[in-house]
Parts: sequence; C-alpha cells; structure tokens
Amino acid sequence: MSRYMAQVGAIMWKDLVLELRSRERLTSMGAFAVLAGVLFSFSIDTASVRTQDVAAGLVWMTLVFGGLLGVGRTFYLEAEDGAFQGVLTSPAPKDAVFLAKTGANFVLLFAVSLLVLAVFALFFGVSVGANLGWIILVLGLGSLGFVALGTLFAAIASGTSMGETLLPVLVFPLLVPMVVYGVGTTDRLIAGRPLAEVEGNIRMLGAFALAAVAAGAVLFRFVVED
Amino acid sequence: MKTDNVSVAGLRRGGMVLTLIGLAGLLLLFWLSFFWVSTEIRQGIVQRIFYVHVPAAWTAFLAFGISALCSAVYLWLRDDRLDRAAACAAEGGLVFATIMLTTGPLWGKIAWGTYWTWEPRLTLTLLLWFIYLGYFMVRHSTEDPEKGKRFAAVVAIVGALDIPFIHLSVLWFRSLHPQPVVVKPEGPTLPGDMLTTLMTGLAVFTVIFFGLFLFRYALEGLRAEADLRARQSTA
Amino acid sequence: MVFLHFVRSLLFRPLTPLRIVGCGVALSALFVCASAALAGAGAQEMGNLPQVPATPSLRPYWHVFAAYAIAIALIGGWAFSIARRLRDVEDRLTQQGE
Repeated sequence: MSRYMAQVGAIMWKDLVLELRSRERLTSMGAFAVLAGVLFSFSIDTASVRTQDVAAGLVWMTLVFGGLLGVGRTFYLEAEDGAFQGVLTSPAPKDAVFLAKTGANFVLLFAVSLLVLAVFALFFGVSVGANLGWIILVLGLGSLGFVALGTLFAAIASGTSMGETLLPVLVFPLLVPMVVYGVGTTDRLIAGRPLAEVEGNIRMLGAFALAAVAAGAVLFRFVVED
Repeated sequence: MKTDNVSVAGLRRGGMVLTLIGLAGLLLLFWLSFFWVSTEIRQGIVQRIFYVHVPAAWTAFLAFGISALCSAVYLWLRDDRLDRAAACAAEGGLVFATIMLTTGPLWGKIAWGTYWTWEPRLTLTLLLWFIYLGYFMVRHSTEDPEKGKRFAAVVAIVGALDIPFIHLSVLWFRSLHPQPVVVKPEGPTLPGDMLTTLMTGLAVFTVIFFGLFLFRYALEGLRAEADLRARQSTA
Repeated sequence: MVFLHFVRSLLFRPLTPLRIVGCGVALSALFVCASAALAGAGAQEMGNLPQVPATPSLRPYWHVFAAYAIAIALIGGWAFSIARRLRDVEDRLTQQGE
C-alpha cells in the first residue's frame, strides 16, 4: 500500500514540478479565468440582472471551460516527446498513473477555481465571506469530479486523430450532474441560505466525484493499453 | 470462414423474419392508434403521439443498455463479436432516440405549450444521444481500429455509470423550475384500450429493433470478413 | 454522424425500379394513414361528442402525422442504410472471391 502511494506521489510530483517549471497550463487556465470574468462582466446588463443571481452559474462555466483548456493538455507534453511510454512501462500500475495524473490536475484546477472565485468576488462584487469554507469545499468536490472525467477522456482524445477538439463532445454531456448540483449549491451558499438546504447536494457532488475517480481508475488501463 | 458464412445467413434469415413481423405489427399499431383507441379527454388527438414516442424511448434505452453491457463484457473477454453487437445496438439506439427526441417536442408543443422543456426523461435521452454521438466519433477517429473499439467501450461504460447521476440531478433541477402546464404523460390509471395500444407499440418497436439489429450485426460480420480477406491478399 | 450518413445515403442513391416502388409504397402508406387518421378522429368525435372537447384547429392532427411520419422515416432510413451497406460489403466480397 505504501509502495502504491509512493508511486502515485512520485508521478504526481513529477507532473507538478514540470508544471511549475513550464507554467504552461497554469498560465493559460489562469489567464482564461480572469479574462472570462472580464468578458462576463461586460456581457451582463447590471441594470436588469443582479450579479449575485448569475454569479454561481458563471463561476462554474468559467471553471468548466478553463478546466478543459488545461486538462485537455494533460498528456500533450509527454506524448509529444514520447515520455508517456516511459511512464507506462514503469512498474507502477496503470490506476496509480491515473490517480497521479488526476491528483496533479486536481491541484492545478483547484488553484484555478480559487482564482475564479476571487475574480468573481472582485469584479462582480459578490459577497462570499459568509459561507467561504463551504463554497471552497463545493468547488473542490466539483473540480475533483471534473478532473477525474477530464483526465480519462483527455487520454482517449489524445489517442484519436481529432485530439482535443473531441474532448467537449465527450465530457460535456457527462458533466451535467456536476454543473446542476454545483451551481445549485454555490448559488444558495452565495445567497447566504442555511446549510441544511444544500447538504444533500454536497453529498451528491461528493458521490459524483468519488464515482468518477473510481471509474477512471478502473477504466484507464483499457485506454492506455499496448 | 465457412461457419461464419452460415451464421451470417442465419442472422439474415432471423432478421428478415423479425423485421417482417415488426413491419406487420407497425401497420397494426397504426391501425390501433388511429382507428381503435379512444381519444384522451384532456389532451385530445395529440395524445396519440404517445404510442410511437414511448415505445421509441423504451427501445432506445434498451439499445443503449445492450450497448453498454456488451462494451463492458468486451473489455473483459475481448471477443470482437461483443464489440460489433455494442456498436450495432448503439446505432439503433441513436435512431430510436432521435425518434423519441423529435416526437416528444411535437407532443409537448400542444400539451405543454412549448416545444422543449427540461423534462427529466427528455433531458436524459438528449444527453444519451450526445454521449453516443461521442461513442461513434471516438470509434471512427482512431487509426488503429482495436484502439477505437476500446475507447468506444470506455465511453459507453462511463455514460451508463453517469445515467443515475444525470437522472437525479435533472429531477432535482426540475423541481426548482415549475413547468408552465403540468400534464403527466401517463395518468394514474391508463384505460384498457390505451394500455393495449401502448403495449402493442412497445412490442412492435422492440421486434423491429431486434430485426434490424440482426441485419446490422450480419453486416458487421461480413465487413470484418472482407477486411480480413483484404489484409490476407495484401500480405 | 450516423444521421448525416442516413441523409446522404437517402439523397445520393441511384434510382432503381425497386426503390421507386418502395418510395411509392411508403408515401402512399403515409397518405393513407394520414387520411385514415383524419377520418377516424372525425368519426370518433362525432361518436362521443360529450367526451372529446372540440379541437380549435387542425394543428394537433399535423403534429400527430409529423410524429408518425418521423417514426417511419427514421426506421425506414435505418433499414435502407443497412441494406445499402450490406450490398456494398457483398459486392466487395464477391470481388475478392474472383
């Protein structure tokens, strides 16, 4: 077990160090988040719509589109110089590779989701203070589910001739539960509703994330076979 | 090779029988639903769309279920026939889901006053339609066909696993948005003749699906054989 | 993708006598069903007037016809597309056999 964890940790650490050095995906996702926030604030007529009412939906949409931008390129760098074959032929089992990739992506996306939250709190004047801890938990659970599905399908998409353009078609229909529960919960938390109202939703988000990670870990070996 | 030919001929004979029964049943269904069954009081004539809409939905879900099941077993046993069955069922599911998705709004426009609502079952079918669109896109965009089969199987399995989540979330989402006019598709008790017509519809669509499925499956078998021969002659 | 394939295969196939007859049969079946539905619904409305509220327009009828036509067209389209692909593969196999 500890050996397994060490393998997961090693691959995850490698990915994070690679990302910290190149800052390729983090920069593009972060810039996307900020610029999407700017564009969204111009796309909303504040005279007719209260920004608090739409902020939750926009936060999640920014997270989904921006996340896809980064998660879609999970295997790009390694595939380009053939390093991924090396990772696969290492003694680490395939599900450890998946968990490590998902973990590294999760760290990136969670950081971006906090940035998105900050951007919207700043640009839209949304007050998130009251339920900040819970909002962060919801964003974390959502990011985890998204990243698990995104990593699995990024591996599939990178193996096809269509590449990343295929990713939205594959992932968006599957993400509906996450968006529904995520937006519904965040919306209520921003509005300062009592926690009892969103408890069930948070549990569903957790279940979705857990199922996505488990399914990815089981199915990943069939994607990267041979 | 020889046994393959025999089985293909048998499949086609079976497919022909089922399809002919299904087509005869379709005529019966049309007769029943146009002449025989009584008109529903609240919705009037338009309720008759129900007799193709619901069977199409049922058949689509059956087909997608078969596809997901065959995909899962394919990843386990790696028998090419399972992958073919999964792909053929998925294609049929796409056809019947399209029927469901186009007839639903035609009915909804009269019954609900709007073409599209986020009715849970309609939404689920729409998302399944897109998931299986992705299934075929993945299948046809890999250079190595074996890879495409595995990828497509993974898509089908993840899609099937996501169904409970989609269903629950869409139900919850809808509880937030009351519909303009709420008319339940089926009343608490369906009068006898309507039930008979509906059951006929379910049986007929299922039989037609399996008939065409057998043809489609035979086609995949022949195609695999032709590919094999082509590879042998070039080698 | 598949749907596009259907549409394309329906549009760009050469006409053979069998196909013309097939289209004719399908179209006339559609026509018969449509008129039958009109007649049947009318008869029914006369038969049990108190039950069925008067229909303000013909619109629901058109929706019913459209729904049944879509069902026939899609199932038929799938059948035709399978038949066409079967013939193509068989041609390929006979060519390979020679």
